Amino acid sequence: MININNVSFSYDKGKTEVLKNISLDIPEKKVTSFIGPSGCGKSTLLRCINRMNDLVETSMITTGQIDVMGQNINSKEVDPIELRKHIGMVFQKYNPFPKSIYDNVAYGLRIQGIKNKKTLDQAVERSLRGAALWDEVKDRLKDSALGLSGGQQQRLCIARAIAVQPKIILMDEPCSALDPIATAKVEELITELREEFTIVIVTHSMQQASRISDHTAFFYLGELIEYGQTDTIFQNPSKKRTEDYISGRFG
Amino acid sequence: MPHSTKNPFAKKQSSLEKKEKTLFSLFAFCTYFIIICASCIFLNIIWNGTPVLMQKGLSFITQKPETLAVLEMAKSDKYQVPSENFNNLLKSNPQEIPIKSLSVSEKQFQFVSFKIKQGSIIGDGYLLNIEKDNPGTHIKFTERKSPKLLGFNLENDKQFTLSKKELSSIQKNDPQLIQSEITEKKLSLNNKKVTIKAGEYPISKEAHDSLLKSDLIFQMKQSFPDDEPDKINLTVIPHDQTITVSSSVFYSAFDDEDASSPLPTTSIENSPFQKTITTFSLPKAHYKVSPETLKILSNHGIKHLHNTDLGSIVINEEIKASLTLDKKAYTQLIKDNPNLVTSDTKEHQESLSYTNFSIEKDCEVQLNASDLDIFSKNPNFKPSSKKTHSYSGGGILGPIIGTACLVIICMVIALFTGIAAATYLNEYARKGTFTKTIRLAMLNLAGVPSIVFGLFGLGLFVMLAPVFSNTPKVESKLHIPIISLGSPPELRTMEAEGIVAVDPDLSTSQAVATASTQGAKKFHNGYYYISFQGWGTCMLAGGFTLAIMVLPVIITSCEESLKAVPMGFREASMALGATKWQSIRTAVLPYAFSGILTASILGITRVAGETAPIMFTAAVAEKSDLPWQGIHSSGFSAFIDFLQQSVQALPYHIFTVAGRIPQSEYTRPMQYGSVLVFMIIVLLLSAVSIYLRNKVRGKIKW
Ligand SMILES: Nc1ncnc2c1ncn2[C@@H]1O[C@H](COP(=O)(O)OP(=O)(O)OP(=O)(O)O)[C@@H](O)[C@H]1O
Ligand SMILES: [Mg+2]
Repeated sequence: MININNVSFSYDKGKTEVLKNISLDIPEKKVTSFIGPSGCGKSTLLRCINRMNDLVETSMITTGQIDVMGQNINSKEVDPIELRKHIGMVFQKYNPFPKSIYDNVAYGLRIQGIKNKKTLDQAVERSLRGAALWDEVKDRLKDSALGLSGGQQQRLCIARAIAVQPKIILMDEPCSALDPIATAKVEELITELREEFTIVIVTHSMQQASRISDHTAFFYLGELIEYGQTDTIFQNPSKKRTEDYISGRFG
Repeated sequence: MPHSTKNPFAKKQSSLEKKEKTLFSLFAFCTYFIIICASCIFLNIIWNGTPVLMQKGLSFITQKPETLAVLEMAKSDKYQVPSENFNNLLKSNPQEIPIKSLSVSEKQFQFVSFKIKQGSIIGDGYLLNIEKDNPGTHIKFTERKSPKLLGFNLENDKQFTLSKKELSSIQKNDPQLIQSEITEKKLSLNNKKVTIKAGEYPISKEAHDSLLKSDLIFQMKQSFPDDEPDKINLTVIPHDQTITVSSSVFYSAFDDEDASSPLPTTSIENSPFQKTITTFSLPKAHYKVSPETLKILSNHGIKHLHNTDLGSIVINEEIKASLTLDKKAYTQLIKDNPNLVTSDTKEHQESLSYTNFSIEKDCEVQLNASDLDIFSKNPNFKPSSKKTHSYSGGGILGPIIGTACLVIICMVIALFTGIAAATYLNEYARKGTFTKTIRLAMLNLAGVPSIVFGLFGLGLFVMLAPVFSNTPKVESKLHIPIISLGSPPELRTMEAEGIVAVDPDLSTSQAVATASTQGAKKFHNGYYYISFQGWGTCMLAGGFTLAIMVLPVIITSCEESLKAVPMGFREASMALGATKWQSIRTAVLPYAFSGILTASILGITRVAGETAPIMFTAAVAEKSDLPWQGIHSSGFSAFIDFLQQSVQALPYHIFTVAGRIPQSEYTRPMQYGSVLVFMIIVLLLSAVSIYLRNKVRGKIKW
């Protein structure tokens, strides 16, 4: 689904490389998690996949190529706007707009020019159900999204992302600002979403990675140290560094 | 721990304590000083302004600025004035006037309403009188013509002294007119023959006026403004000339001793000559004469309202409106204009209530100009002294409306460009030296004195900005012809604005030259031009100047509010496939709104109070019309005309009342009244801004 081939990435026009020769293939309809110590470039790689790094003017991919669904996403023919419609993203800090719950979920569709009330209603309900939030908010769709709890807000953000029916969802530490119960709910949601979407998740929690992901990639200082089946990585890592990190000896 | 007897917290350094205390009292003093200053200012304004507002009431702000005359009236009997004017008298005089034997009576007046038929011919002054008595009518016309006969009324027998030439002209054109005996007399007069070298010379208005009557060919560099009769202007004499002038012209334009700045002459010769003058008299009656005769007679003191130079007005456009005049004026109108045909004439009576009163003892009375007019119709109205005090009647409606208009125009421009620029700087532009330079420039711009903006606005908007027009000004800096389109404006506008139609075949520069030799201000040759002539002193120029002045403030605060919107909103929106503008519009600007709102209201209070930028660009000291009054065009051009008007403005009005008119005890309270109202408006605006900000802030939080 996502083929990352020998990618190096720099935030300052190639002076320093934040990612170094990374290659990995992310399979379809599976959960892949990125782990690694802080500052190792997990978020950066994630943001390369939907070209969010375009927003940083001086950023550039120095070598390599990223293919999504067989298409090189950095080629001239690719419109990042269209690309992002197919790749949803959920951020570390939940960031619903200060609008109503309904408007938040419908935002992406409205951006695409869909005005039909019925279509929007259906999409909102489908997405909220998909994000396991429908029962909690169905009576107060018109209320401000900021009145929801943190966990609900993060699930709302997931609903907002899936409303535009992307193929891939990128999650950058979706649970880091949530308490254990909210985290559990989001995790549960992620395992459900696996049926439909390809999910890439960045996490700092080893348990979380081992619980929900099918594949795990371990990064260290901008390099991909190890990538494979989650079970293999956690129970039988081939690299010493991976083992040290997983067992909590550093990081 | 053993208890020591020594106090560990005892004072150690008394000098430090002293320092503390001095600093404390210094800071406290500064604070109290500010508070005292502020309260002195506010108290002064409130103390002096409140009595004015109490006395004038709401009319202080619902009335146009009024100038009152102060009259010393002697004790006297029997005045009769329309009740309306009597009430005005009471209103204008807060102090008690010793009035006795009040009574009200009714008077009947005859009015005639009528319609003017197409093809009628009417004199200029008559048309203006009709329009004055029928507010709101504006009769357009496209043609002038000299009819065979014009009427005038001679109220008393009158003797005329004419030159022989004039007399023979009258006898030729109107053989029947002079019935009386004609006497002839011979006079010896002395003309002067003078030679003037080509060059540029300063002359006074008096000299200029008398030179107009002579054969001298000359051109003025500037025109004489009406309000500065003593001004000296430069005249250009294109080539050496020798002319013969009458002695009166000579003494006012060439004589060294009398004229303030005479034209230098190289030679003066006497050229004596004999002149025959004739004398005759006309009995009082109504006469109908040819325009030529009327022109001669009006040079000798006949009063009428015809325009004998340009000819009478031909009304070709159908006038649907029914007009009303009082019967006497109507009869006079019909008599004086033999070629005026009216239809649908209807007479009706109106009764007007009059108040009769007498003044018990000597007193001082204030009256405005129009009331004074009415009062002076009473035969026994003989004030022992009369002095007008500008703006002593208060009233600041015009300035308030003018300021409101300026502020609205300014804010529309400033907010549009300011938000656009802030969005560009904060969202689109690369962060780097470019944006840094712009911010630095803006910071400096914010520190530029406002008078500099005024001068800048004068140079750019008032005198240079481009205008799209088919009647460009002759003195425009640059004419760029665009398309050939449309017909010239109607004659009335052409005359009023000094537009001269020139041959369309001429090139632009030839057209300009032709028009300027004909003394035109603007010209029309069938082309629409982009003409760099400036917008004139008008609201638009003032609005733009003010906008440029507040832009730094607006842009800076808009940028602040944009920065305050969390990055997450932009990212979330972009990640959902929104374009840059879509995410700015839906996920950034709405949440920056409260900051922008506060900034703009603060901008409004600043703009409303500025005097210097509008002094040269928009504001006038005196204007009787409100901005929407007196616009005769329609549709889009009416909107343009509206924007192209000068206005009164509150701060400028205060400046005028406080500093530019002669001060007296009658005008001084008015300046305080204006200031108080102004202060209340500013306080209200600030209050609204705080309220709105809290409200919007309360709604949107993140
Ligand atoms: N916008 C940016 N401009 C320049 N450098 C950046 C930018 N964002 C991140 N970096 C740098 O890139 C490196 C990788 O950052 P990244 O955010 O990808 O780390 P991360 O693995 O997500 O860390 P964390 O777990 O703390 O989120 C860091 O050294 C960081 O300083
Ligand atoms: Mg990160």
